[in-house]
Amino acid sequence: MPEFLEYNLDKFVFRVATDRHYNANGVWAKEENGRVSVGLSDFLQQRSGDIAFADVLEPGTPVGFGEEIATIETIKVDISLPSPVAGTVVETNPDMEMEPEVINQDPYGGGWVAIIEASDWPADQAQLLAPQAYYEHMKAEAEEEAENL
Amino acid sequence: MNQDKKVVIVPCSGIGKTYGTVSREAAYEVIEDLRPEQAQLVALSLLVLGDDDARLAVAQNPAIAIDGCKLACASKMVTESGGTVAQEYAVLDVYRRYRQFKPRGIAELNEGGLQLAHALAEEIAASVDELLADEGGQDA
Repeated sequence: MPEFLEYNLDKFVFRVATDRHYNANGVWAKEENGRVSVGLSDFLQQRSGDIAFADVLEPGTPVGFGEEIATIETIKVDISLPSPVAGTVVETNPDMEMEPEVINQDPYGGGWVAIIEASDWPADQAQLLAPQAYYEHMKAEAEEEAENL
Repeated sequence: MNQDKKVVIVPCSGIGKTYGTVSREAAYEVIEDLRPEQAQLVALSLLVLGDDDARLAVAQNPAIAIDGCKLACASKMVTESGGTVAQEYAVLDVYRRYRQFKPRGIAELNEGGLQLAHALAEEIAASVDELLADEGGQDA
């Protein structure tokens, strides 16, 4: 499988990283050794606009599957990010404090939002979308938005 | 005082964009209220159209560009029109310094947007003073 799936719509290109899972809101989860990093998909960050502020739960805070792990304020909207994994926040990206635009610049890399010590990753993973499934979901959302413009 | 030298202010032209509106409201406040004798507005659209007077203004005076988004059209057009961006403001960066002033609205800004525009205008006015002082265009 390629590193990214790409969808072109007019002048936009939306990429889906293939090494992680997604919830339907466009929050990704990537597990490594029981710890799951989370962030925004390329589609979610592009549709939301330039990010002004990101407020993330403090390390040590428990979070349930689907519960709010962060709020993002952009030039267009305020969005709540539902956690794609249950557990305890163990680390937050220090760039979220002063340079949250890193989410726009590198959503699958330096723009990670938080790392969670998962309580039951296999169970959570089973509820998430695999890359191809998220690609199809994202594509449908993008086309619907384009039709409504 | 050198009456000929003015600071040119080029705001974002993003119509229908909240941050573009903030940039224009700030520019209007500077040229109408805060520094009417020291600053002049040049519409970005005139630079895009290649208007001779607008191009001359940015080429011969220090320019302040106010960008509403990362496309930075105002800054780019000043440069492409033969001018030099003496000071650049990005509304998003300004908002990060004044988070209490959350801008919303397009044709009409909310109270937060108006307060943000005012805060930006005050910063621009200070920049106008500094630029004219650097140009030797202000009274000692």
